[in-house]
Amino acid sequence: MKGHWHEQIQRYVAGDSTQEETDALQQALKDDAGLRALYLDYLNLDLALGEAAEAAVLRENGIGRTTKFPRPLALSSAYHWWWIGAAAACAVLVVFAMLPGGSGSTGAHPDIDATITSAQSAIARLSLEPPSPLPAWTSPTASLLEQPRISE
Amino acid sequence: MPTLNDRHYDQFLRLFADHESALRTFVRSMVPSLEDASEIMQDTAVVLWQKFDEYDAARDFRKWAFGVARYQALTYLRDRVRDRHVFDDALVHSLADDAAAADQRHEAQREALDQCLQKLPEAQREMVLTAYTKGTRMDELAAERGQTAMSLYKVLHRIRQALLECVRRTVAREEYI
Repeated sequence: MKGHWHEQIQRYVAGDSTQEETDALQQALKDDAGLRALYLDYLNLDLALGEAAEAAVLRENGIGRTTKFPRPLALSSAYHWWWIGAAAACAVLVVFAMLPGGSGSTGAHPDIDATITSAQSAIARLSLEPPSPLPAWTSPTASLLEQPRISE
Repeated sequence: MPTLNDRHYDQFLRLFADHESALRTFVRSMVPSLEDASEIMQDTAVVLWQKFDEYDAARDFRKWAFGVARYQALTYLRDRVRDRHVFDDALVHSLADDAAAADQRHEAQREALDQCLQKLPEAQREMVLTAYTKGTRMDELAAERGQTAMSLYKVLHRIRQALLECVRRTVAREEYI
């Protein structure tokens, strides 16, 4: 009995049933709760297969795939050194500014003035030329120039 | 009607997303084809949003949405499926009642499907997923495989039957655990 209804249900769901087959299935579904459960399970399967197919297409097209990008290790260490350098230069400036005579003394301590000038220019250089430890392709616009090559 | 971008809208979206899958299964239980179900789902979503001001947050959103969907499906079937063989209203109501009661079972079966698909031979798995991919034409798929459309349908019937038995078995086994 069940084998027949498996086929009839699938024919109905596919839109292939004749009027007589539809009427027979309708009557059987009204009379038999177990057959109604089978019918509903088929419809649920039909829906779930549609979703599974859609998910498979998305996977194949690469959407939702997790891509591992190279970890920018250089970023943290380079920035550390940059900030350490800047902090040291600031510390030197503060120390010299607190020395007797202050930063306003020019002729009395030429070596100190030279150090201050050199520290100031070092800071200026650092702020003008921040390091760029990331590869160029990680820039948002770099993808227009060159795509990353991720080795398999 | 509520305006966009307010908390009301966010609340609606959250509730709708939570129950969308169950609602889709429920709608599917009342109509014979996936295309009909998709259209009814769209109509239902619009009506749910339009009536969301009337929704009492103390009530079960799923029950309320099922009520709206049932009405939409019956209207759709009466208005637009005159030329096709469809079940009468009494049976559609009966199926809707059964589907609402089988909500949990259907969710469990959908979850079990992935396992069952993995148990199929790869060629069969690919075939059934291709057959269910939007835009696939059965006659073209059959020709690609060097089969007639009829023999392809028969193979698909057997695969679906095997999958259904597998998900039913899997869910029954998990219920015992």
